[in-house]
Parts: sequence; C-alpha cells; structure tokens
Amino acid sequence: MTRFRSPAVRACWYLSLAILAVPFVFPFLWMLSSAVKSQAEIFSPALSLLPETWHWENYAEVFRYQPFARQYANSLYIAGLVTAGTLFISSLAGYALARIRFAGSGLLLLVLISALMMPEEVTIIPNFFLMKQLGLMNTHMPLILLPMFGSQGVMATFLMRQYFTALPPELEEAARMDGLSRFGIFWKVALPLSRPALAAVGIITFLYSWNLFLEPLVFLSDIELFTLPLALSNFTDAYGLPLWHLQMAATSLAVVPILVVYIAAQRQIVESFALSGVKG
Amino acid sequence: MKAAAIRPPIPLRTREALVGWLFVSPVTIGFLIFFVGPLIAVLGYSLTEWNLLSQQSSFVGMDNYADALGRNPEFWTVLRNSLVFAAGLVPLNMVLALTLAVALSRPFRGVVIFRTVFFAPVVTAAVAWAIVWTFLLQGESGAVNQGLALLGIDGPNWLRHPDWAMFAVIVTRVFKTVGLNMILYIAALQSIPRDYEEAARLEGASGWQVFRMITWPLLAPTTLVIMVITVVGSLKVFDHIYLMTEGGPENGTLVLAFYIYEQAFEFFHVGYAAALAVILFLLIALLTVTQVMLKQRGGPR
Amino acid sequence: MERHDRMIKRLIGASALMAGMLGTTAMAEELRFTVWTGSDAHLAMLDGIAASYTEKHPDVTVRFETIPFADYVQKITLQLAGGNPPDLGWLLENSAPTFVDAGVLLDVSDTLKDTDGYDFDDLSQAAMGLWQEGGAVYGVPFSTSPFIIYYNASLYDAAGLEHPDVLAAKGEWTWERLKQDAAALADAEEGVWGFQSVDGQGYGGRVIHTLIPMIRSYGGAAWEDGTCGLSSDEAVEAVALYHDMIFKDRSAVPPGEQGDFFTGNAALTVTQLSRVSKLSDAGFDWGIAPLPSGPAGAVSVIGQAAVVAFAQGSQTELAADFLAHMTRPENVAVMAEFFPPARLSVLEDEAFLSSNAAVTSAQMKIVAEGIANGSVAPGHIAYPQIESAMRPKFDALWKPDADVKAVLEDVCAAIEPLL
Repeated sequence: MTRFRSPAVRACWYLSLAILAVPFVFPFLWMLSSAVKSQAEIFSPALSLLPETWHWENYAEVFRYQPFARQYANSLYIAGLVTAGTLFISSLAGYALARIRFAGSGLLLLVLISALMMPEEVTIIPNFFLMKQLGLMNTHMPLILLPMFGSQGVMATFLMRQYFTALPPELEEAARMDGLSRFGIFWKVALPLSRPALAAVGIITFLYSWNLFLEPLVFLSDIELFTLPLALSNFTDAYGLPLWHLQMAATSLAVVPILVVYIAAQRQIVESFALSGVKG
Repeated sequence: MKAAAIRPPIPLRTREALVGWLFVSPVTIGFLIFFVGPLIAVLGYSLTEWNLLSQQSSFVGMDNYADALGRNPEFWTVLRNSLVFAAGLVPLNMVLALTLAVALSRPFRGVVIFRTVFFAPVVTAAVAWAIVWTFLLQGESGAVNQGLALLGIDGPNWLRHPDWAMFAVIVTRVFKTVGLNMILYIAALQSIPRDYEEAARLEGASGWQVFRMITWPLLAPTTLVIMVITVVGSLKVFDHIYLMTEGGPENGTLVLAFYIYEQAFEFFHVGYAAALAVILFLLIALLTVTQVMLKQRGGPR
Repeated sequence: MERHDRMIKRLIGASALMAGMLGTTAMAEELRFTVWTGSDAHLAMLDGIAASYTEKHPDVTVRFETIPFADYVQKITLQLAGGNPPDLGWLLENSAPTFVDAGVLLDVSDTLKDTDGYDFDDLSQAAMGLWQEGGAVYGVPFSTSPFIIYYNASLYDAAGLEHPDVLAAKGEWTWERLKQDAAALADAEEGVWGFQSVDGQGYGGRVIHTLIPMIRSYGGAAWEDGTCGLSSDEAVEAVALYHDMIFKDRSAVPPGEQGDFFTGNAALTVTQLSRVSKLSDAGFDWGIAPLPSGPAGAVSVIGQAAVVAFAQGSQTELAADFLAHMTRPENVAVMAEFFPPARLSVLEDEAFLSSNAAVTSAQMKIVAEGIANGSVAPGHIAYPQIESAMRPKFDALWKPDADVKAVLEDVCAAIEPLL
C-alpha cells in the first residue's frame, strides 16, 4: 500500500484522479440516463442525469425497431468463432516459428512481421472483389476470414511466437523423451503452459472482432445479418434523423454486459497482459 | 538397421520441416489469399480507372498517382489531416497512458476501481463510444457544452468547427484507447524489480530522478511497442471519423483511411482509391521502419 | 448459414404450395425490393400492393427491405457492385442520371407497353423526363412530391399569429414572413426552434433540397446548362436570408443541433407529403402551406422518386412485371395517399384530394398545385462527385461570420469543372 504523507496529499491524489476519470465515466452515465428518457426530454435544455419520467419501454422498442437480439447473437458468435479459430491457428504457427527449425521459417517470420501493422483499409477493395467471386457477399464469412488471416491474425501469431520463444525448452524435453509427437508436445505441454498468452491474445482478438465496423459496413446488406456496431449506427428514423433515445438504449444494451464481464474478470485480464509478454 | 534397408526412414530434419510447415500452413495459406494476394491486386487496381457502379475499367498507368499527388489538392489536405491526427493523438495518448500507469501501478485503496474506469472504454465498442460522444458534443444542447455553460464557458460547436472537430475526434479517440496502453505500461512497470528504485532512493535520488534515470530507460521496449501500435492505430482510424464527422466540416477531419473508403464505395472511384491504399501502405511501412530504426540507434534493447 | 435458412424456407414454401395446389410445380420466388422508408404506414401500404400481386401469382412473394435514407445510394451501390443486387428498388431523382448512365437499370419499356390496362400514355411526360432515354424506360416515378411547408398550428395559435396557409391565400406568405414567424416562435427556454430544414439534414447530404426552394423563388438556380448559378446575386440573397435565420435570429435549427418538427421541437419545416405518416400521434395541431414566395414569385420544387428494376437481378422479367403491377393506375391511386403520383388520371381525379384521411382536401390541393407548377430538384450525371465537391465548401457557410457571397463562389468554383 502506498502511504500518503498527509491527509491533504491523499485528498489531492483522489481528487485529481476523480477529475481525470470524468470523461471516462460520464459518457456511460449519460448514455444510461438518456436511454430511459423520451426523445422530447433529450432535447429539453434542462441538464439532468435523472429522467423526469422513466421510459423503460425504450429498451423494448429497440428490439421492435431492428432484429436486435439476432444482431447481438451474430456479434457474439462471430467474435467467438474468430477468437477460437485465431487462437488455434496462431498458436500452432507461433509454436512452429518459435520451436521448430525448418527451411524458410526465418523468411516467413520476416514477411509476417512486415504485415503486422497493415490496416485493413489497404486491402479492403481487393477483398471486396475476392469475396464477391467466392460468393460470400452478404454472409458472415468475410467477417470471420479477414480478421483471422489479416493483420490481426498475424499479430496473434507473432505474440504467440514471442511467448513460446521465452518458454524454457527443458519443459518439452521430458515430453519428447516420453515419445510424444510434435503435435502432442504442442497440445499437451506447450499450450497449457501458455495460458496467459492465450488469454491476452484471446481478449485482443475478441475485442477486435467485436469492434469491427468497416467490414460489416462493406460486406453486409441484410439487416438480419448485421453485427452490433453496424446495428448501433442504424437507429435513425426513416429519413436519417438519429433517434437518440433508442440509440442510447441500444448502446447501453451493447455495452453493459461486456462491461460487467470485464469488471468481474478485470484482475485476470490485467494479469494475463502482464504475464503474456504482450508488453514486448 | 534391417528395417532401414527396406524402407529408409524420413530423416529427422525433413520430418521436422514437414511438421513445421504443416503447423504454419493454415496461417500462411490464409495470409497469402487474404492479404498478400489482395496487396498485389491493389497495386494492379491502382493503375486502372475503374467505376464501381458500371463495373467498367480501363488501364490508365500512373494517372491515379498523378491525380493524387499533383492534380487533386484534396489529397494534400487529407495527408496533412492524417499526420495532424497522428501527431495530436500519439503524444497525448502516450503521456496520459504513462501518467495513469505510474499513478496506478502501486496498490492503494481504490486502485482497482480506477484501473477499471480507465480501461472500460477499451472494452466498449468503438462505434458505441463514438455515438455517445457525438451525442455529448452537440452544439448548444450537448451535455458537454451545457456543462461548460455552468462554469461560464461558451463551448464551441465541437463537431461543426473545422479545428475543434479535429481536436474533439482526437481527444475522444484517446479516451477510447488510452486504457490499453496504460495496462501495458502497468504490466511493464510491475516487472521492474523494486530494489533498483530503492537503491537509487537510498542514494538520495528524487522521485523524478528515479523515473528519469531508471524507470524510463527500462520501459524503452514497451514504449517502442506502444508507439508503433498507436501510430499505426491513428493512421487507420475510420469508425470515429465515419460516425462523428464524416470527414467534415470543410474536410477538416478527412483522413486517409476514411478518404479511401469514401472514394471507393461512395464515389465509385476504385482505381483512385486503390492508389490511395498503396500510398497508405507506403506511409505506414515508412513510419514503422523509421521508428524501429530510430529506437535501435538510440541504444540496445 | 443465412443462405441455408433461406433455402430451407423456400423448400418449405414450395412443398406447401405443391401440397396446396396439386399439379403446380412452380418454385416459390421472392423479389427483394429496397426502400428507404421505415414507416409502418408506408410499409403496410406496400405490403398490400405486394399481396395483390401474390393473389395473381401465388408463387411470388415480395420482400420490402428498408435501408435508411442517408445510406441508401451507397448501400445499393455496394449491393450492385458486390453481385448481390436487389431485384427492385426506389431511387431518388438526383441519382437517376448516374444510375442510368452506368447501365445498371433495367429497360422496362416493353413490359410496360405489353401490360394490359397499363395505359403508359397516362404517365405525365414531364415527370418521366429523368427516367427515359431514347425509347428506353428505366423507371416509373411513384412519387412526384412538391416540397411544402408544415407548421405547428398549436404554436402559431399560442403566439396569436396568422397561419401560413391563410397568408398564402392572401398572397402574403413570403420567405421574409417565414423568417419573422420563425423568429417569433422560437423559444430557447423551452427547446423549441422556429424552423427545421428538410428532415433535419439541410447541412449534409440534403443541402440542395434545403436551399433550392429559397434560391428559385429569388430567381436563382443551382446549375443550368453547365454553368453554376449558386453565386448569382439572387442565390446569394436567398442564402443570406437563411444564414440570418440561423445565426442572427437563431430561429433555424443550426448545424450540429437537433430540433424535430415531428416531436414538437420546431414550429416550421419544409418537407413532403409522405412525412404526414410521422404526425399520426403528434401531440399538437398542424397544418400544410405552400412554399413561401420570393421576389421571383411563387415557385414549387419537386422531389421525385421512382421505382426501378436492376439489370443485374436474377429474375429481371419477374421484376419488370412487378414494376408494371405496382405502377398500374389502381395501385398508383393507392400510393397517392403518401406519394403524389405521376399519372394524370389519378392526379386529376377528385378522389386524390381525399386519399389521405389525415390530410384535408384543401391541404391536398396545395400538394396538387405544387405538382402542377413545379420543376424537379436539380440532378446531374456526376451528382455523387458534385455533392462531394460541394459539401466541404458549403461547410464554410455555417459559421456566424461567413461571407455568403464568397462561400457560394467557392462552391461554384469547385463544381464548375464537373458540370
């Protein structure tokens, strides 16, 4: 425990942190409060966190306005699939790049690293035509394939490789003596040891997929197929004027569950980042 | 050895190589199809005039590049905006991240709450964050300006003023992403052995000196990673711009990533957009390499 | 997976049909029809028209898909370019030249002429202008809707002001008068604005729809025959009036601010007949008036939208047939409730004046007169480019100290090469 030199110092310390926290907390509070206001009250000039009358029906209206439950499920299953898939292939490749000596591995690593920082905006146009040719327009496949194999997948592979490189090789030797195959060593020894890295990479990947906006915007046209970010940007009246009360209710629904999971698991999340070597 | 005479075993090295390639094949094949292929294709596209709507294209050589670099004054505005965005966002983000990390790396009552608060926007969908801030930053009726009015400040029409719009987008983006950098710095700070600092303290170094002489150099590798990630992240910003300003007002927030999207998918100029994508690629490659080289010349990692 | 679902649904639908009508082996077909309205009233009306088609063609269903107005053209383009085209859709007048030129619209002239009882010549030639080229017909307007003024009668009465339609009848309804009324009715304390631009989007994609009614009634034009008219003295005078409303009187909803006429937060707005559906549960009295007149007299500006079929669709014949069905005289009469028609027979019929229960026949007359005297909002083959060139220049207008003339000259300089 840090000890404060005097109560005054302590008060200053907490006060300055609290002021810094305002722009991080206030948007959530304002969002939750606007979600239960009427559209008319939202525009009234009186600034109040508590609504005059509570419009809980805004939440029900969100589901009437768009197939929001379906869109929520889309986002969850896509992010889940992308995370599981990325973890599997990136740990497999990361392990090989760290532990197995094979011709071309150095070159491959170099090529992958050079792609590490390339945003999807660079390749979105050709990928658009590629997906068209594969008949995957207006499906979820681009949203699954591109994060797994684009720069995000490369990033995951690189992080896994870094972690495996730092793992003491002695741990594997024993398994090798026992006659385990390479895959056996990977699956039964290396992978269980890399839990912190898997957790960190998993979280990064999940959030990446969860946040994805450009890809759904370009590849999806059917409202039933929308993911949350796209659905959230869609709460306007027929002529494009934002319906702020529904907008805020929907945003609350999208944000709060993830926030709760995060708060419940925040210690593990911070630890996994600390242990994983993501720090570089 | 008898069996070997009948069927020679695959040498260990070959077998290892096979297994190695097998392990990396999913990533490699996908990478070739969805990244390397498109990257080559985008180079090809950039040499054509291609209308997305009518699907007609013709070869025009370097015309699109000439358009961007010479004929179209918009491009330089866009490039300038992208660099202003990065130059504003990166230092602000890193200084804030480090400040928060130093403040929150040691335990004190409530530290977990503060860490949670500053990290919360990171786990919030970027779209949600941008939408809520757009709502807060509305001209006179927005909560931010109403709050400022209580303090007697007449706030600007944030998202409708060319200079303030850029400022607003940068700052809200920093709030969204600073938590991740903070956590990475906290992890790095916590891995620095306490004795280093205590030894320096015993020799009478001030808090600032300890930070300057011991902590900061030890953080260098983390700083490099964070800097590269943040610079690249700032150049690919799309959703914040799309949702908060659409590149306006007066093109004041028109940045490269959004400009590419707009040219390709709103104005149907596939060829020109591809040329812009190539330029973005080169820009990012250049910046990444420069940063790594600068850092390496600065001293061994 | 979705595709799978749809396939299963289709199979179920098909087998049900086969069970129901022995001997018919036709597969169920679905036409996808994109629209920008999300209004329940509009969609119910459209579904009704689709149902009457399904009666005659039991194997065909029509699915109306709502794409928000602001993203409409872009989404349609993505679907066309992505090889996932809708079969039919609505299209706004300003997109017509671009889409016709790109060759993505289906020529439906033969289908229309071969359809019994279609009466092609009944379509107003003026209204068909944008949608015909040579002998080809690329769309049929379902809405030829003049911009009109909606006003909040409760606010007018509370302030003791004369209603705009009354003023119009006396010939006193001018933009100057509208400006005065808006200033008198705006009430910042209550969060009430005087005037709201078209659908609240007068500063972005619809700046032309907002300014053109004013500019034309002052004797100006957006562009004509390749020259930009936005910087003419007449146009500058008109735009300056609006600029004063925003920044001097603070009566018009400024950019970055939202005040909604339809929830009672603005006293006046300029819009079209179809928005009546948004007033079904309005908590205030409202009325309709023609556009105010200016120094150049009273003008009327028409926003037009047509039904088109897309050439890349997989069932173009069926799509063309449904297009013909939808724009037959009897269905045009149905749609006239919200969308003033391009058919002379419907327009001239007394029944048109009472087609919408929420709108009095006196009010509907204002609409009809608007159509008769109006000309369509400006369009251009390079409209997307023009719009993108205009937008950043127009942004400079929305500042308190903007030099209106200089800004409009900038706008013209930016778009002249494209005209």
